[in-house]
Amino acid sequence: MSETWIIIGGWLAAGLTIFLFSFLYKDNPFFKIAEHLYLGAGMGWLFQVSVTNVWIPKIWEPVSKGELLVIIPSIMGLSLLTQFIPKISWISRYGFTFMMGYGSGLAIPAGLSTDFMSQIEGTIKPFSLLASMSPFAIFNSALIAFGAICVLFYFFFSVEHKGHLKKVSNVGIYFLMIYFGAAFGNTVMARFSLLYGRFDDLYTFSGAKYLYATQFILTGMVIYFLVYALFAGRSKNAIKA
Amino acid sequence: MKLIKKQIPLAIVFITGVFTLVSYYVPNKTSIDYIETMNKWQNIVVAFAFLLGLVSLFFSHYHKIARKADGWGYSIFVFVGFLTIVISAYVSGGRQMTDAGLTPLGWSFKYIYNALSGTMFAVLAFYIVSTAYRSFRIKSLQAFVLFVAAFILILGKVPLGQIIWDLALGWTGAGVDQVIEWIMQVPAVAGKRGIMIGISIGAIVTSLKIIFGIEKQYMGKD
Amino acid sequence: MLKEQLQKFSRIDRRWIFLLLAITLLVPIIKPIGLPNKTIAEATSRVYGNIEKLPAGSFVLFSLDYDPSTRPELHPMATALVRHAFSRNLRVGVVTYIAGSTGLIEELFARVSKEYNKSDGKDYVILPYMPNILAVMTQMSSDLYGIYTKDRNGIDVRGMPVMKGVKNYKDMSLIVCVTGTAILDYWVAFVGDKYSVPVAGGVTAISQPGYGPYLQTNQLKGLIGGMKGAAEYESLIKQPGKGTSGIDALNLAHLLVLALILTSNIILLIIKYL
Repeated sequence: MSETWIIIGGWLAAGLTIFLFSFLYKDNPFFKIAEHLYLGAGMGWLFQVSVTNVWIPKIWEPVSKGELLVIIPSIMGLSLLTQFIPKISWISRYGFTFMMGYGSGLAIPAGLSTDFMSQIEGTIKPFSLLASMSPFAIFNSALIAFGAICVLFYFFFSVEHKGHLKKVSNVGIYFLMIYFGAAFGNTVMARFSLLYGRFDDLYTFSGAKYLYATQFILTGMVIYFLVYALFAGRSKNAIKA
Repeated sequence: MKLIKKQIPLAIVFITGVFTLVSYYVPNKTSIDYIETMNKWQNIVVAFAFLLGLVSLFFSHYHKIARKADGWGYSIFVFVGFLTIVISAYVSGGRQMTDAGLTPLGWSFKYIYNALSGTMFAVLAFYIVSTAYRSFRIKSLQAFVLFVAAFILILGKVPLGQIIWDLALGWTGAGVDQVIEWIMQVPAVAGKRGIMIGISIGAIVTSLKIIFGIEKQYMGKD
Repeated sequence: MLKEQLQKFSRIDRRWIFLLLAITLLVPIIKPIGLPNKTIAEATSRVYGNIEKLPAGSFVLFSLDYDPSTRPELHPMATALVRHAFSRNLRVGVVTYIAGSTGLIEELFARVSKEYNKSDGKDYVILPYMPNILAVMTQMSSDLYGIYTKDRNGIDVRGMPVMKGVKNYKDMSLIVCVTGTAILDYWVAFVGDKYSVPVAGGVTAISQPGYGPYLQTNQLKGLIGGMKGAAEYESLIKQPGKGTSGIDALNLAHLLVLALILTSNIILLIIKYL
């Protein structure tokens, strides 16, 4: 890639980034263009990756070598598209049921072992090691067990929550709140990190190497909004007059 | 007709489901041969699933353009974006990088897709801040507990927050990082584990219902 | 009067808040504060320890499943992990189940392989994107070549020196999944637990708290969480990168959000009791 292409790329990336951010001030045509480009480019990326990584090596090449068996799953895959034609949409069931059966068959043993048995084991196991644990570790293990049981009671809908059951499930809510609080705190950090990433890129494109792309485009957007506000104000006055 | 429309698909889900489940617990040559064929086939079937999204995106924007609906001009850019990536992939032979550096495909990723996809999600940071200001209301004890956990995490994850903690609460002897570790390793584990066990029971039951043809909403109406 | 003013203030145009956040985040990027991360979480050290203890030449599988939408958090993390693996002379295999990650993987390896003088096919291999993660995971338990016959550039993988003696999970020393999706859960449930392969992960800060139970049971051998985790790992391998500078930039923004929550609640209290 030549230097020129890198500069063009910088201007394009800075432009698209600022166009998308401009929505925060006000909806505008530049944002809409970038938004629609995103939809198309995202789909285009998925399409090209699927074609080059799966369709060509896994379907086209084997078929051209005479391995015709791969045609069966390909037809099942294509059958999904009959969803869009109501009259024959039932054909898509062949593809869906084939995927669902396999997925469910795998999910049952994995779910049972990983998220059910192992979690119960993980809650109980520390109590077999009490002798080697510090009092604080014993307290923590007991708290995990107590908390997990309370939360489970909270999710236990088969019986009406009243009396002792209500008290236990209420305690469960507090454990959930701590978990959600931790999740919220972390979400703040995650979102800021993403914004940092874009700002960092914009800062890079503001350099002389990219011919100050960020500054120029940002100024352009500000001028656009000013001019737009001016014209909008005038047309309002004209209507009033 | 009912046989082709309904019973055979239900038989497919039952047979593939049961065979796959059995192959997990009975590892012998037949079951391994079965699961290997299934793996290869399933990988191919799923490679077509995204076409559902593609076709519906194209349909809706094509119709907008054809009917000259409000804002139809923007719909053109969906196709512009798609073609930009696909053509650059074709020109580059699907490769993003060669010894000479970025190919046109690699270039479109770096400067177009990366900027668009990254910014789309980065915008959410602004909304979480304004929501925190406008809607984070500590009106009950439960909300207060949630707030305290969130407060400690937001504060303690950055060095400046750690300094503030040490200035205000350093006398307790507990660093904010230790408190965060405890929250993440004890009460948060209890909360999440309860959810996890609950969901796993639900998922297992749903999977069984699918295999036995009790749950068939995904098949659509007759 | 004061009540009205406070009410007005609590309903301030949110664009002012947007602007405040933009400034708080942009200023430290232009002029770093100089307060990098200092603490290291236990879960992060566990990932480091698990890579550190592997003998040179061990095969580590990286499942890099993140696209540009989570790049700022996960790319520095993946970069630090690959740097660590290369510095330990481990053999690296890369798989992905997210189409958008292919470009980031290319960029990462083009850059890091040069730093350690590692070559494609000999020291590392980048396998192509595959759409059905469960099918591939299950297949790799018996014979990975049943799915992966070629690398992402169409070169036969069987003859590559990096793949010598590697056929299924038994030949892999560690699996590290970096993702902003549930793919790490799949690695734990469908591979780690079933085939007894050590699985470690790197995730976004959002999903980090959800992995506590797996860490406690040791189903997950370690976890790097978010930008802070990336900064922690960078300091463990003593190579500061985007994670370290990122944490520095986030300092003020974190305090801003706390200040905003407190301000709005204090205003509400005053309005209520005034």
